[in-house]
Amino acid sequence: MSVARKDLLDIESLSREDIDSILEQASPFKELFTRSVKKVPALKGKSVLMLFYEPSTRTLSSFEVAAKRLSADVTNFDVPHSSVVKGESIQDTIATLQAMRTDYIVVRHQMPGLPAMLSRMTQASVINAGDGAHAHPTQALLDAFTLKEVFPDQVNKRVLIVGDVLHSRVARSTSTLFKKLGVEVAFLGPGSLVPEYCAPEIPRFTSYEDAMKWKPDVVYLLRVQMERQKAQFFPSLREYHQLFGITSERLKQLSDAGVYIMHPGPVNRGVELCHEVMEYERSLINQQVENGIAARMAALYYLKPQTGTLT
Amino acid sequence: MSDLLFRNVRIASEEAAVTESQDVLIQEGVIQRIGQNLVAPEGVKVVEGAGRLLMPAMFDTHVHFREPGGEHKETIQSGSEAAINGGITGVVMMPNTTPAIDSGAVVKQVLAKAKEVSRIPVLTSGCITKGREGKELAAMSGMRDQGVVMITDDGDAVPESSTLLRAMQYAENFDCFFASHCEVEDLAGPRAMNEGAMSYKLGIQGSPAIAEEICLDRDIRIAHAAGAHVHIQHVSSALGMETIRWWKTMGAKVTAEVSPHHLLFCDEDIGDYDTHYKMNPPLRTKKDNELLLQGFKEGVFDILATDHAPHAEFEKQQDFVNAPNGITGLETALISMYHYFVKEEKLTWQDLVLRYSAEPRRMMRLAPVPISEGARVDLLLFNEEGETTFTKDYMKSLSSNTPFLDKTLTGSIDMVVLGDRVLLERNI
Repeated sequence: MSVARKDLLDIESLSREDIDSILEQASPFKELFTRSVKKVPALKGKSVLMLFYEPSTRTLSSFEVAAKRLSADVTNFDVPHSSVVKGESIQDTIATLQAMRTDYIVVRHQMPGLPAMLSRMTQASVINAGDGAHAHPTQALLDAFTLKEVFPDQVNKRVLIVGDVLHSRVARSTSTLFKKLGVEVAFLGPGSLVPEYCAPEIPRFTSYEDAMKWKPDVVYLLRVQMERQKAQFFPSLREYHQLFGITSERLKQLSDAGVYIMHPGPVNRGVELCHEVMEYERSLINQQVENGIAARMAALYYLKPQTGTLT
Repeated sequence: MSDLLFRNVRIASEEAAVTESQDVLIQEGVIQRIGQNLVAPEGVKVVEGAGRLLMPAMFDTHVHFREPGGEHKETIQSGSEAAINGGITGVVMMPNTTPAIDSGAVVKQVLAKAKEVSRIPVLTSGCITKGREGKELAAMSGMRDQGVVMITDDGDAVPESSTLLRAMQYAENFDCFFASHCEVEDLAGPRAMNEGAMSYKLGIQGSPAIAEEICLDRDIRIAHAAGAHVHIQHVSSALGMETIRWWKTMGAKVTAEVSPHHLLFCDEDIGDYDTHYKMNPPLRTKKDNELLLQGFKEGVFDILATDHAPHAEFEKQQDFVNAPNGITGLETALISMYHYFVKEEKLTWQDLVLRYSAEPRRMMRLAPVPISEGARVDLLLFNEEGETTFTKDYMKSLSSNTPFLDKTLTGSIDMVVLGDRVLLERNI
């Protein structure tokens, strides 16, 4: 018997059963998308609140579409994006949210650990849609769902995660989930962005050529945040592209080796990858976007808010 | 008046192992006799020691009493009561109050307040720079005249090396020494936790140990060049400790302190963003814990000091990055050091009396307070079989930001006596 899970805060806390249930449920939800009526009444009468303290279009819309396809009522809670919002004021916000009796809260915040803090203060199910550099569990779930579509038996497949591992919640959550699923993961990037202390159990490469000798099945490119260059983590975007980007030349080699490409989006063309990658037959980038909706539907459907038993 | 005869107590000292059971007679604030089968003169209350330990009271050279400006966290009165509750009968306050303790006038004001409200001696440090801003030198001579015992910008390092050098040269003939909170600001970053596997896991920008190590080496070099005595505060990194050890062999006038939390806890204890493990310098690794304890045993650290840093509950309840740095320590230090180290035979009572009672007093140019005939009374009674639960009720500090909150440890402080006053009494 599975224990009802209230929140989705990170990957570490998920059991194998949680993961399998969510991934299995994502498939039937995805099949819906090809029908003329894309909705199911699974969350009819339930309310989902979007609490985004950081600007986001892609993740926010993906959650919104997912919730609406489950027939939930969706509200966007307007919060300031610019200033750093402190924990104190979040506690005040919670009081307001409690009064709204929302069933699910999808939260994105720049402060690591804040969704967990929030989850302890509410009966609603809290879904972490990204908290600083800490976690982005639904991204990891959609990535795993995508990987399983390509490799139904994903065990021992090799995924090379490239780029700004240090600041990336995607790298943390996706690598953790992949490893839980028996996928081999390695990191590639300059030492300034993939410092040795990050994850002692994950192989680490600082040269593209060395990483290729590891023979990855998938190259997963992380988005390069432009402000990292200003903070001197690398000298220029051009140099980053030359050292770690998928250039036209490297794309040919990947094509010959049958390697797939993933990216959480949005892509910086000419930095993480060259223009041609978008047309590459083994690019899974668009599939990831579509799967994002299915995986988020499955996550919402799986969680059990305790709002019904409110006393 | 508190004339007491302690019957069957074992005595701890800085020089020797704990003694066999003896009787100790104190009258009019002086230890009159130590021996077997002493008879209580008339009017003297008998305390059955039953094998409990009598030892010199402790002395803490690093406390934040938040007055003036932060009285919702702690006041001089509540802080000094917390000290007594922890078996401590003397403290040195840090100057990072609001306003900062950076002039003779503020020193005079806080010491007058201490005299009025505190039952134990409360000493104070003063700033190196005005407002602790790291720019202009504070009026060191004025503060010295009002009785400052230590000059420090604790909470921050002095960013400019030239400023620190000038300050140390200027104060050459002053009868006080410098203390350094060591941190290279640009390397330290937002100062939330140690940089390492744990900071990566939690997604928090870490503060690397080199930020501390570089600065402590710099500060000792500068002091050495200026001929000044520098005391390195709350060392958290084992490599930093080795730097201090090396400078001591070079004959530099350097002393150092370590805090109980840097011996007891590491970054992994932060777990799920528990702000009771957030302080600066941050908790480093398990390996650092072991090596620092080894160094403590070997005497690289002259003293133990808590860095007692109270914060209100609502402040600590923020998210990890925004929550303020610091934990309280006065009430938990001695018992936790006993519970984890003395009881486990990793340290002895002799180590604790030396490093937490005798040496801190000597550093402040005060005489140690041994349990010996003719000495003035400044002692505590400790029960190794006792138990202490650190509830909010038990603690006298206005704040309860400690990892020990509601935890039970072995050992209890049953009595604190200073001069002719019993300051604390429980389980008697």
